[in-house]
Amino acid sequence: MQTIKFPIAVILHKHGEMVYFSQLDLIHILERALRRSDLPLYFTQGFNPHVKISFKNGLKLGQEGFIEVIFYFTENIVFCRLKEILQPQLPEGLEIIDKEVSG
Amino acid sequence: MIDFKNFQRPQRYIGNEWNVVKKSHSGRVSFCFCYPDLYEIGMSNLGTHIVYGLLNRNPDFVCERSFMPAEDLANYLKTSKIPLFSLETKTALHDFEVLGFHLGCELNFTNVLHMLALGGVEIFSAERKDLIVLGGGIVNPEPLAEFIDVFYLGEFEEVADRFIEIFHKYKDKSARLKALAETEGFYVPAFYQASRQADQYVFEQRYSYARLPQKRVAVKDLNRSFVPEAWLTAHTEIIHDRIPIEIARGCPNACSFCQARAVYTPYRQRQTATVINILQRLYQGSGSENFSFLALSASDHSEIEELIDAGLDYCRKRRIGLSLPSLRASDIVGRLYKKLSSFRKASLTVAIEAARQPLREALNKKIDLGVVFEAAKILQSLGLRQIKIYFMYGFPQETDEDLLAIGEFLDDLYRRSRLKLRVSLNVFIPKPFSLWQAKSILPEDILRRRQDLILRNLPRQRGVSVSFSSIERSLFEALVSRAGREFGKVLYLAYSRGVCFDGSRENFSFGIWKELMEEAGFDYRRCLEEQTANFPWSFIE
Ligand code: SF4
Repeated sequence: MQTIKFPIAVILHKHGEMVYFSQLDLIHILERALRRSDLPLYFTQGFNPHVKISFKNGLKLGQEGFIEVIFYFTENIVFCRLKEILQPQLPEGLEIIDKEVSG
Repeated sequence: MIDFKNFQRPQRYIGNEWNVVKKSHSGRVSFCFCYPDLYEIGMSNLGTHIVYGLLNRNPDFVCERSFMPAEDLANYLKTSKIPLFSLETKTALHDFEVLGFHLGCELNFTNVLHMLALGGVEIFSAERKDLIVLGGGIVNPEPLAEFIDVFYLGEFEEVADRFIEIFHKYKDKSARLKALAETEGFYVPAFYQASRQADQYVFEQRYSYARLPQKRVAVKDLNRSFVPEAWLTAHTEIIHDRIPIEIARGCPNACSFCQARAVYTPYRQRQTATVINILQRLYQGSGSENFSFLALSASDHSEIEELIDAGLDYCRKRRIGLSLPSLRASDIVGRLYKKLSSFRKASLTVAIEAARQPLREALNKKIDLGVVFEAAKILQSLGLRQIKIYFMYGFPQETDEDLLAIGEFLDDLYRRSRLKLRVSLNVFIPKPFSLWQAKSILPEDILRRRQDLILRNLPRQRGVSVSFSSIERSLFEALVSRAGREFGKVLYLAYSRGVCFDGSRENFSFGIWKELMEEAGFDYRRCLEEQTANFPWSFIE
């Protein structure tokens, strides 16, 4: 059913209170935010399926900064739509930024 | 402002969970829900979410939360004289109008006193002026009677509206306490006189408006009761990282040693349609990837098959993990086994409690060991690797034969099923309101002897792992859950010596408690052995 996956890379600005949350926490925060949205999610295969997310880099606990995240969907999702739907589901201190714009 | 980076697991103290409620305090009654244990434990408790949702639903009420800080932060707060605060607005506890403590675990009673002190609040009820300290989730409130202004006995959903109304209508403490005392389920200890006369706990009203006897209040219809749909979802890992949905409250069985069935009486069920509707609302509100169905005895739910089918159907489509509470072995053999293969982690937990039939009969525990063997075989064929088994020992009427039979049964089960067995052996504690509340916990030396006897006969195979509950902690639990008001001075002494977090194995020392009890002039052996029909909790129906 979900054989093709459409990746989209974005930059996540982690700041404010969110600096206290670890990379592992971030996986859960993003997975739950995605699940609350009605985006066409791509799940990992296997017995214990999860929303597929990958990180290009990480930040130390307590550090403000930018993380490159790749989301995967079962259809092509453009940045504006992703941001419009996902941003309201994220806690304060996590901002989605267009990768193209930020360079 | 505290730099939380300097403390272990700073996530505990931030208070920015999904669905968190932040309101200005001005013009509102301010309430802080206080949980006398760490964040990750308190946030795993369903009660936390229910109280938070119920109170914040009212626009003129604000409910925030505070948890017992870990040692590093607690020490820092003490030395830098910063009062313990709420997570949402970092308001000092002493600035709230009401603090509501969750008192579900007796081993955390000293933490309650520490939280009051850390929050800049007077510890003794008699010393406090305006602030009201409420305590809920407790079975026998007497040991904390000196510290808590008002207890609520029962399920909060049923009285939340009346509670809020009282706080809006009356503005001073004495008027509020009086109005609460007149409401079913609220118990203001200062309105009663309690004393020991011979072996009787004598309990009298000091004012005519103080209710006697007291009654626990229960939710009438679980299909209409409040559900915290805007589930406060932690951004960090907590002990139980799944949202519990009650499919029933209470239990239709009557095991002699059981306190839960008596406290959550009567037995009430949620219909399948209600449960699925709740699951849907909670999922949409939280995005949580794991849920569990909660019940004391899921097998007794009259719609358990429909429930499992409908729950699995909803969860499978959305790739949500669903876990079930333990089922009766006979259900695994019978009607439910086909369904179990769809669970990610099908498991079997059997509370056998006693290895021989006559003792099981006395315990009112209906279980056929033959069926357990069969269930184990079925589960093995489904690819399951282990079973959890619970036994209890230390019953006054148990014989050496009963104890030796535990090992024989485990050996037999292991040989026949080849499943890993994880066995828990717990000491029988005669808990208030259980059918056997009038029995005594056995003395320490006898319990040790019985434990040795069980140990001697246990199978030595690697696949069988056994854990015994601590005898000393069980004795202490029996004490705190059964004591009267006189235990307050022991708790105070323990608090002033820095005793805390007795809920964790490493911290608990019965040796220290024995010294403290002696110093406070509290005869713990007498308290444990006492034969009476008039208990400190007898004023509650
Ligand atoms: S031990 Fe379990 S089955 Fe027995 S009465 Fe208590 S809750 Fe019910």
